[in-house]
Amino acid sequence: MSKQKILFSPVTRMSGLLTAELAVEHGIVAEADVSGTMFRGFEYIMRDRHITDAVYLTQRICGICSTAHGAVASYLLDSLYDNDIGENAQYLRNIMFGADFLQNHIRHFYFFGLPDFVIMPNEPPFLNQNCFDCRLDDSDNRRLSGHYIEAVKAAEKSHQLLALFGGKAPHQHSFVHGGVAAAPTADKITQALALIRDILDFIRRCLLPDTDLIAKCYGDYYHIGETSGRFLSFGLFRFGGKNEHELWRPGVLNDNRLTRPKVDLIREDIANAWFEQAESPTKEETLPAPRKPGAYTWSKAVLYRGRHYEGGPLARMLINGFYSGGTSTMDRIVARTIETHLIAELVEEWLQKLRPGEPPVSQKKETVRDQAIAVTDAMRGALLHCARIRGQQVEKYDIITPTAWNFSPKDHRGNRGPAETALVGTEILSPELKYVIPGRIIRSFDPCISCATHLVEKRHLPAAHNIHDSNKFPFTSI
Amino acid sequence: MEKDDFLQLCRNNATAGNHGLSAAILPAVRQYLLNRPGGKLPVIWLETSDSGDNNIAFMNTTYPYLHQVFTDMIDLLYSNTFMAAQGSDALLLLESAAEGRYGPFTLIVEGAVPLKDGGIYNVIARTGSGPITALEAVKRLGAAAQYVVAAGTCASFGGASAAAPNMTGSVGVSQVLKRQVINVSGCPVNPDWLVGTLAHLLMYGIPELDDLNRPKLFYGFTVHRHCQRRSYFDNKDFAEKLGDIECMFSLGCSGPRTGADCPYRQWINHVSWPVKANTPCIGCTNRDFPDGSAPFFTPLPQKGKTGSAGQPPAGKGEKP
Repeated sequence: MSKQKILFSPVTRMSGLLTAELAVEHGIVAEADVSGTMFRGFEYIMRDRHITDAVYLTQRICGICSTAHGAVASYLLDSLYDNDIGENAQYLRNIMFGADFLQNHIRHFYFFGLPDFVIMPNEPPFLNQNCFDCRLDDSDNRRLSGHYIEAVKAAEKSHQLLALFGGKAPHQHSFVHGGVAAAPTADKITQALALIRDILDFIRRCLLPDTDLIAKCYGDYYHIGETSGRFLSFGLFRFGGKNEHELWRPGVLNDNRLTRPKVDLIREDIANAWFEQAESPTKEETLPAPRKPGAYTWSKAVLYRGRHYEGGPLARMLINGFYSGGTSTMDRIVARTIETHLIAELVEEWLQKLRPGEPPVSQKKETVRDQAIAVTDAMRGALLHCARIRGQQVEKYDIITPTAWNFSPKDHRGNRGPAETALVGTEILSPELKYVIPGRIIRSFDPCISCATHLVEKRHLPAAHNIHDSNKFPFTSI
Repeated sequence: MEKDDFLQLCRNNATAGNHGLSAAILPAVRQYLLNRPGGKLPVIWLETSDSGDNNIAFMNTTYPYLHQVFTDMIDLLYSNTFMAAQGSDALLLLESAAEGRYGPFTLIVEGAVPLKDGGIYNVIARTGSGPITALEAVKRLGAAAQYVVAAGTCASFGGASAAAPNMTGSVGVSQVLKRQVINVSGCPVNPDWLVGTLAHLLMYGIPELDDLNRPKLFYGFTVHRHCQRRSYFDNKDFAEKLGDIECMFSLGCSGPRTGADCPYRQWINHVSWPVKANTPCIGCTNRDFPDGSAPFFTPLPQKGKTGSAGQPPAGKGEKP
């Protein structure tokens, strides 16, 4: 009885379909396989299309972080067409991107995370909650589950703010290459300010104190689900006429040493993913192989300098010095809440800096280069798009998503990715906690399998310049 | 509320002052439920191959808001997105809901269904006796459901998940079931279209459907017909670039062949829609989306002819 397997499937309350298989020895998780169980092949879908379709089409990779894909595809096109981005467009883009972060983070905390810690009413969709380790008293349970309802409205308002300028959400329309097609008129700015102030009020009145309460009651989670201490961020919120500045700096954090990320040090590893190398020696790409022996996920491992790295709010908060803490489940949750507050304040500030006027968009017609890489952080970590075009048609389009980093399977040497690392070593205190404890750990990464497992592409990214050489961003030298 | 009044409320056409599906729907449903012994609509929601955008869109519903839909309209018994239960506890709920323990259930599917290699490209859960593919789950639950609703264009017609080259052989839900499927297309679905359809199912049964099995209430007219910029089109006054205030036909607008009520319903508490944001409609409710709309910024007559992998448009679509 000392060895057991836990088949945790489906891991609910997240985007996409995830299974975790845990081997438990003497009550301790000895091995963990995290498995994305869906594949769509988006990189192949992008081929042979007009490159300007990328902004709208790549948003269809992910419903909860669509603006991140739209943003990075826009940066990529700005580079291919050598667009100049006006100041109003820079603010508007970041306002819209920021609003989608708020939507994501609020929904993650309340819709996905809350039932891990708070007893919800015993009615659909909360039946069989089986939260055997819920520690709040009755009145706090009632109060926080009431905040779920307030979160419904706060998250809707975040998307309303995005749609005011973007036309709709998910999959906004106006944040395109060359700027933003919607006009920042005075009425829209006023409406958006009213919305962001409501959202800020919700964050201060509910999200911050609720996070505090959960962190206090579940303090042991500051030591559960710890990772390696390796973090990576591509930076967040682009400014400058050529998208050359990141407001929140990019970084690679390794044993408290901070360096600048270089994309040519990124490799994908398919040892344990359902992919195989194409047989043709001229075609440097991978193909899906759903029956590959030993493989267990549609997510490829992503490695930086041969090692797994963790991304997300905790990485950004640590790299930018906004938070100093550990690498645990609760650190990830707390960092996300801190980030939510910071972004809401930024959106309010940017709205006040907008100058009412015409649509700030100017798209050049001719491409000036035939390949580019663009990067940004998305809600759950580092996001990269890379395209090679002929004329204005896509030849290849590569995408590396945040969840591919965090939910990397083991690489060819057997090294575990961040989520697997966080799970291994965890004590499963009693049989009825076999989903509760791993569920809390896994959700703290805010996994999105819709993103992670769309992708098929070559093993190696082309060599590129340091992405932080501001004059060289985005890359042209691949 | 009488059915005709309800239909009028949903149509809420361009002449009406109020643009929402409207706060009136919730009191109507509550009133209805008081007299209905069966209670709310039991729902099983399967996420298959899509981006998850349709559950996010559903969260954006206003009047009724999401929590009001949960408390007053549907019993959401299984949903990978929302349910508190996890692991095998979640599958137990699915099992008992499928067996009808909570009454005849409605199956909502968001996402396409991969057919290739036995459907192995989408596994909704793994069990001790093997994986449950989306194909298997949709077939089994679809056969047992009282109603089947395809939420979004992937579930309705394949959508982006079935875009060329469609490596996974993905199709819409209706192609794997030998029964009526109510398609509520859109990329994503507008929450009004989905919540309105659910309210109709609850109170009056199946709504009147168009030839693509979509509720005529929402898809009966083209975007072009009710577009605020229609007068520009009629005067041949076309936009030259994104951001212009004229007709977007010149920039690839698919409005003339797209059935949807976006111009007056709009999105996210009815604040805007793509043409209002000075960009073209890309026809996201269409059977051939996205390939039939590609390249997105190429005018309709030339779409699919500029080397795009996309299929040429299937036809002229609805009359403007």
